Amino acid sequence: MNRRNVFAILEMGFWPLIGIFSVGLLTRFLSLEGETVAFILIGAVTMNTVQIAQLDLSYALLYSVWSKSLKHEFIAPVRLFHILVGSGLVGLVRGLLVFVVMGCLSVYFFDMDLGRPGPAGLIFFLLGIFLNAAIIGALVLALVLRFGQRAEVAAWAFSYLMLLLCGLYYPVSVLPRGVQFLAQFIPMTYFLDYFRHFYGFPLVSRHPLLYGFGQSVIYLFLSYGLVCLTLKSAYKRGTLLRLSD
Amino acid sequence: MPLAISAQGIGKGFRTGLWGPVKQVLRQVDLTVAPGAIFGVLGPNGAGKTTLISILATLLLPDTGRARVLGLDVVRQAAALKERINLAASGAHFLWCMTVADNLRFYGRLYGLGGRALTDKVEKLLDLFGLAEHRAVTFERLSTGLKQRLALAKALINDPELLFLDEPTSGLDQEMAQHIREETLRLNRETGVTMLLTTHNLREAEMLCTEVAFLKGGRLISEGRIPDLQRRLGLGDHLSLIFQESPAPLDYDRLPGVLRHTVQDSRVDLVLDRVDERLPAILEAVYLTGKKLAKVVVKPVDLEEIYHEITHSPE
Repeated sequence: MNRRNVFAILEMGFWPLIGIFSVGLLTRFLSLEGETVAFILIGAVTMNTVQIAQLDLSYALLYSVWSKSLKHEFIAPVRLFHILVGSGLVGLVRGLLVFVVMGCLSVYFFDMDLGRPGPAGLIFFLLGIFLNAAIIGALVLALVLRFGQRAEVAAWAFSYLMLLLCGLYYPVSVLPRGVQFLAQFIPMTYFLDYFRHFYGFPLVSRHPLLYGFGQSVIYLFLSYGLVCLTLKSAYKRGTLLRLSD
Repeated sequence: MPLAISAQGIGKGFRTGLWGPVKQVLRQVDLTVAPGAIFGVLGPNGAGKTTLISILATLLLPDTGRARVLGLDVVRQAAALKERINLAASGAHFLWCMTVADNLRFYGRLYGLGGRALTDKVEKLLDLFGLAEHRAVTFERLSTGLKQRLALAKALINDPELLFLDEPTSGLDQEMAQHIREETLRLNRETGVTMLLTTHNLREAEMLCTEVAFLKGGRLISEGRIPDLQRRLGLGDHLSLIFQESPAPLDYDRLPGVLRHTVQDSRVDLVLDRVDERLPAILEAVYLTGKKLAKVVVKPVDLEEIYHEITHSPE
């Protein structure tokens, strides 16, 4: 589908380019030191990778909603699990591509080595990113199944909201106290904490991977359950038909 | 032989808004369809036709009742059933950025086709529905007729045993609609696929359907073969005898198959149970009176009359 949809292809290149250069050039203008530049660029890379990866999950239904072909997909013997895994894998590949491209641009233009944490550090961080993207994507799917096209704004809003709370361009400690409390329940907070410690920033949490993966797995199960419930409700309420008219 | 469709007591209502009242769309609908039939569900807009077809096609859960399609329960065995059915609906909508061939390939994959089998199937369907020359055209650039043809092609991608056709010719010009009807008939004849068709085009139902059911206000008010319905409702074929002078002096009501008659000047209008069977005997009776006929007009009963009779009767 993406092969013929020029916007989907542009999306993969355009936003990551804007993201890395706007943030990278800002750090240059502010004459920031190497480690602080890394701190901020990690945020920019994370945001774009999460966004691209989770959008593919959201698109799994949004394309069908936009083209009003939802009933044709759901009359086929395709299970929700297939939709989630299939679109999740596409998101993973596209997200990985964005991560690599942004990593290369960071090295070339801003002298920030995204590979410094080594293979294990990178794998854990990427796994964290993709788990979070999957959670957001599943939540968006649930909203689309419940509210239809009206919920499409959630496809973009959810990830930005989550990233705002988890300390994307700043340490969580600068957030207001109430928001800091909320940040503890966002797994991305721990993955960013883990990844940044390779660049000289002290760990805020004692076991970031444990908390990050623990929360991610719980949220993933909960969001999958939510999608299953909303799909059942969609079958009952006629949402699939309404979204195909 | 097991029934293709067997539904009992199907009921469905939709709530308007979050807390609004439930609007009942289907009430206690019973339906049976024999294998290999083209079964028509007729009724005015809002009668519940699409709701019924959607329940049977596993796209909607019924509130009450049970339905089995191809021997499988539409709720509990939906996953297995989906492999053996398909749907073509009016106002075809598919992924706009994909070409005709890519759309067929996409749906083929959803049904587990791949490799050579998928390529062959797509090519066959492109040829069958005259889509080969439009194979590289994106869906958004197709005309309404071509979109509808693609919808039918897609509906055959998995060689379904039962095909749901929800107003398949709605919005098409006469020529294209006729082409689609002929294709539908040919398909039924050649493959024996059972079809459940919703339409409010009575001519279409008359041409295609072996049996019909009428829905009105969510209730199935009549069901059967068209001649049986005609008999049940006391409707008949029309025969007008226009004499050169005065009408033949006959006791018309006693002639074979005459349901009723009216005489006006030199014209006698008869309503017969079956005009094709009764016409020779009636003409012979007229001939024996020595009266000369100026004109004979035959008008077989049509579904329009049946529909009118049913939909205008009190529920």
